[in-house]
Amino acid sequence: MLILSRRLGESVTIGDDIVVTVVGVSGNQIRLGINAPKAVRVLREEIYKAIQKENQSAATAADPRSRLEGALKQFRGQRQEGSND
Amino acid sequence: MTSRADVTVRDANETAFVNQREQELFFPAGLLGFGSCHQYKLEHFKPDDGSESPFFMLCALDQDLSFPLIHPESVSLDYRFPVTPELLMALEAKAPDELVPLLIVTVRDRLEEITVNLQGPVIVNPNSSLGLQLVIEQYPLRHPLLQRAELLTTPFTKIPADP
Repeated sequence: MLILSRRLGESVTIGDDIVVTVVGVSGNQIRLGINAPKAVRVLREEIYKAIQKENQSAATAADPRSRLEGALKQFRGQRQEGSND
Repeated sequence: MTSRADVTVRDANETAFVNQREQELFFPAGLLGFGSCHQYKLEHFKPDDGSESPFFMLCALDQDLSFPLIHPESVSLDYRFPVTPELLMALEAKAPDELVPLLIVTVRDRLEEITVNLQGPVIVNPNSSLGLQLVIEQYPLRHPLLQRAELLTTPFTKIPADP
């Protein structure tokens, strides 16, 4: 990992068109300003990872089709029981 | 549900699109975590027993990968997403009402644990056959699907509006 020290107001460039600027420092929190082309997705890492993981869960078991089928059967079963009461 | 004030917002309305049998879609950036998979086919999910369901399947054309999806209206969600000029441009849409949101469903073993992802909706433009996964940070990642459980076995096109 490349590690750089920057002061308030200083920037780092990534490639030709991404600039990350330190715009605020307060205690253990820093604020970053990010200039990037619109096509580049800029996200907080935890959000990115959470959605990535959720996508993997949704696609998981290689066969969401049969799981969905199972869920629907389960639901119909429950409803049947309910209506017999 | 609120959204940022600096962008226009649209209602997730039913469109003629959902009545279509299936459509091939191209995702230039893929889905998060699946960035190298671009070609998908979107189809209605038909259970093997021939019954109806409100679900869609987004199936990769060139690998064994598929995602169950549901339209927000199918679960009575008043789902709004920010439409920016960049979003319109990315999906080659002229107007916001061309865009259709679909929520990825995470099917878990217990019925009550099934959730829809409101934070990372799939947005498609049926006219250009383009799609992407949007990220709306302030929306929940896991929203229980079964709050309106009775809708689960209703086909999308026959769902009555909320009274």
